[in-house]
Amino acid sequence: MKSLHDAHFDSVDGVAARLAGVDYIAGRQTATALYLAFHLEKPVLIEGPAGVGKTELAKSMARILDVPLIRLQCYEGLDEPKALYEWKYGKQLLYTQLLKDKLGEMMQGAVGLAASLERLHAHDDLFFSEHFLEPRPIYQALHQERGCVLLIDEIDKADPEFEAFLLEVLSDFQISVPELGTIQARVKPLVFLTSNNTREMSDALKRRCLHLHIPFPDAAIERRILERRVPGLSAALNRELVAFVQAVRRMDLKKQPSVSETIDWAKTLLLLQAEHLSLDMVRDTLNVFLKFEQDIATAGEQLPALLSQARKDAEVRVAFHD
Amino acid sequence: MHSTIEDFFKALRGSELEVSLSAQMDAARAVGLVGWRDRALLKSALGATLAKTMAERALFDATFERFFSVADSLTPAQAPRPAIPGVGGQGGGSSGGRGPGSGLGLGGEPLSELLLDGDTAALARRMRQAARDTGLTDIWFFTQKGHYTQKILRAMGADALDDELAATRREAPAAPRLAQLERARQRLSHEVRGFVERQLALYGTAPTRALHDDFLLTQKLSAIEQRDVGRMHEIVRKMARRLAGRHSRRKRRQLRGQLDFRRTMRANAAYDGVLFETHWRSKVVERPRIVAICDVSGSVRHYARFLLLFLYCLGDAVSELRSYAFTNRLVDVSGSFDTLPVEQAVDKVLRAVGGSGTDYGRVLLDIDEQLMPDIDRRTTVMILGDARNNRGEAHAEVMQALYQRARRVIWLNPEPVSFWGAGDSEMKRYAPYCHVARECNSVRHLERTLDALLRASS
Repeated sequence: MKSLHDAHFDSVDGVAARLAGVDYIAGRQTATALYLAFHLEKPVLIEGPAGVGKTELAKSMARILDVPLIRLQCYEGLDEPKALYEWKYGKQLLYTQLLKDKLGEMMQGAVGLAASLERLHAHDDLFFSEHFLEPRPIYQALHQERGCVLLIDEIDKADPEFEAFLLEVLSDFQISVPELGTIQARVKPLVFLTSNNTREMSDALKRRCLHLHIPFPDAAIERRILERRVPGLSAALNRELVAFVQAVRRMDLKKQPSVSETIDWAKTLLLLQAEHLSLDMVRDTLNVFLKFEQDIATAGEQLPALLSQARKDAEVRVAFHD
Repeated sequence: MHSTIEDFFKALRGSELEVSLSAQMDAARAVGLVGWRDRALLKSALGATLAKTMAERALFDATFERFFSVADSLTPAQAPRPAIPGVGGQGGGSSGGRGPGSGLGLGGEPLSELLLDGDTAALARRMRQAARDTGLTDIWFFTQKGHYTQKILRAMGADALDDELAATRREAPAAPRLAQLERARQRLSHEVRGFVERQLALYGTAPTRALHDDFLLTQKLSAIEQRDVGRMHEIVRKMARRLAGRHSRRKRRQLRGQLDFRRTMRANAAYDGVLFETHWRSKVVERPRIVAICDVSGSVRHYARFLLLFLYCLGDAVSELRSYAFTNRLVDVSGSFDTLPVEQAVDKVLRAVGGSGTDYGRVLLDIDEQLMPDIDRRTTVMILGDARNNRGEAHAEVMQALYQRARRVIWLNPEPVSFWGAGDSEMKRYAPYCHVARECNSVRHLERTLDALLRASS
């Protein structure tokens, strides 16, 4: 069967090209990190502002490699049973109840406690076998026949204890289940961890990962992203829109618009059948890509200036292209 | 090229980026994958493996540019000159220089030939090789510059060159070759010296900084000079972060395998007593509640700055820290600590509260009045001050009350124990009412005391 590691990337540019093939436009830094992660078999810790495509990157990788994506969303209080495995306690209990008679039969003829226990020991692991194990994302990831992309999303939201627990998975791709022993990954998964930088990760975790920071894209890359993600957007509007968003990002805002917001806005404008950015239209749709009342007010005040700046930027670029 | 990458790790260490061994191995493998050809690619590959945070990435970028520009510019800035005809004829004369052991250890032509040929690439190669042989990357201090320059020159074969110069000077003082060689020799020393200087800037900072930090850690806080204050802030902040990291985690300890029987029974009452839901026992580890009271008067001015800085940084490690400062009256400074960035907060407190005329008696009465109700057996009271009371009323009875109420009373005094009680110091009268009374006047002291404090109370 085809596994994750049958895939082959011969160069960094090859990675970027394959990503572009699934509509993910990656910067060179991103492509390099992925290339190394794949060949060194190391997890990647992806940092960066929200909405620049950290999660999307893992999804795209899974599509390229044609393996399942297993996602573990982290949150405060996430613990081992929810991330790794859990015994199906209810099922165990139910089965013992149902099998009471059978157990009784089995015990027949056994004299004394010691003999009964002896009989039971012959079947001891019955209730602690994989049938009664509820696999959770990490366990599933290690169990995939063909490997998988394991995405541990927003690791900064999890507790430090959980981070420590992950270390074994990240460095050796194995986990220890006290009742079953150590479980090795069948095929080493490609692991992505994302972080929004709400807290500093521990050194031990960072040491086991490659580090990748995805910043806001520059204008050229953002235009290419829009071309891919919002087909039907006219080239002129694409340029103006990107120039405008880039100008907005230079402002002092509470939350800067990210790529996902740019895409949303582009879709909105496409729906409104806009050809060019006009003052009224921008004013009406500001709330699509600015998420705070305060930011909308700030941007609203400077709208004419921003707009003219964006038009100028867009034109300069046209001139460059010609 | 392996030694190049090792030198790069050394240079990174010089710019305060600690590279772990596993990261180094990854980096070496990454270089094996992407090769040395493409500079941008090399940079991003090394960056992904070596830098682990954004801050580290910035450091890495700067060092990369510096290191690889130095490595590229190894070629002495000597314009390649066409070999002068006639010099070739004189080549026979220089063959005397090719005597036994004339510094040809590095292989090939004698240095004089290289210099006269203007073969800059070969010269640069030789200089680099010589630098490696002499272990230039181990350079520590600027005082070693001359030493290394001479060593490198010698390793390049300068001795033979000098012999040859002397011989030519004796035999044919008017030869054009002599003047040329002398000029070239001078230029060469100049180049090598410049090279050594650049290398010192790359590699020499890490060990000296470590040495300096070590010195600052044990130095008395009052003796630290103005120019070191910035560095000191950094050290204190690092230490507070370390303490915070060490102690902020153990909030709740699971007692694995111990069934909380009462809760389990209660939860399963609905299932007719069949234990569907289990609850396990856990222990909540309380983080300490600390009331810190800091003397900021003139007599302890030098310490106060660091103590305040430390209090500020400590805020992260403890769940509840209330900070007070005083000279002659007690002032709550928690507010400014919560809202202002550290430097500003410390400055503001020192300006607003600092002064002379400490009055411990008055302050203790204030404590009695304002704080006593809040202090219970979970509170740790930490007092930072020299207990020099300007011969005022001591009011030791308030200390006694504190001692009885609080979980712990800790007094950190910047003066050595032998000074306690001398002159207007009331320390001898306060000390019996402290669980811990300690001398504390260097960063090391501070760290040890606070580590013990946090451990004991968690």
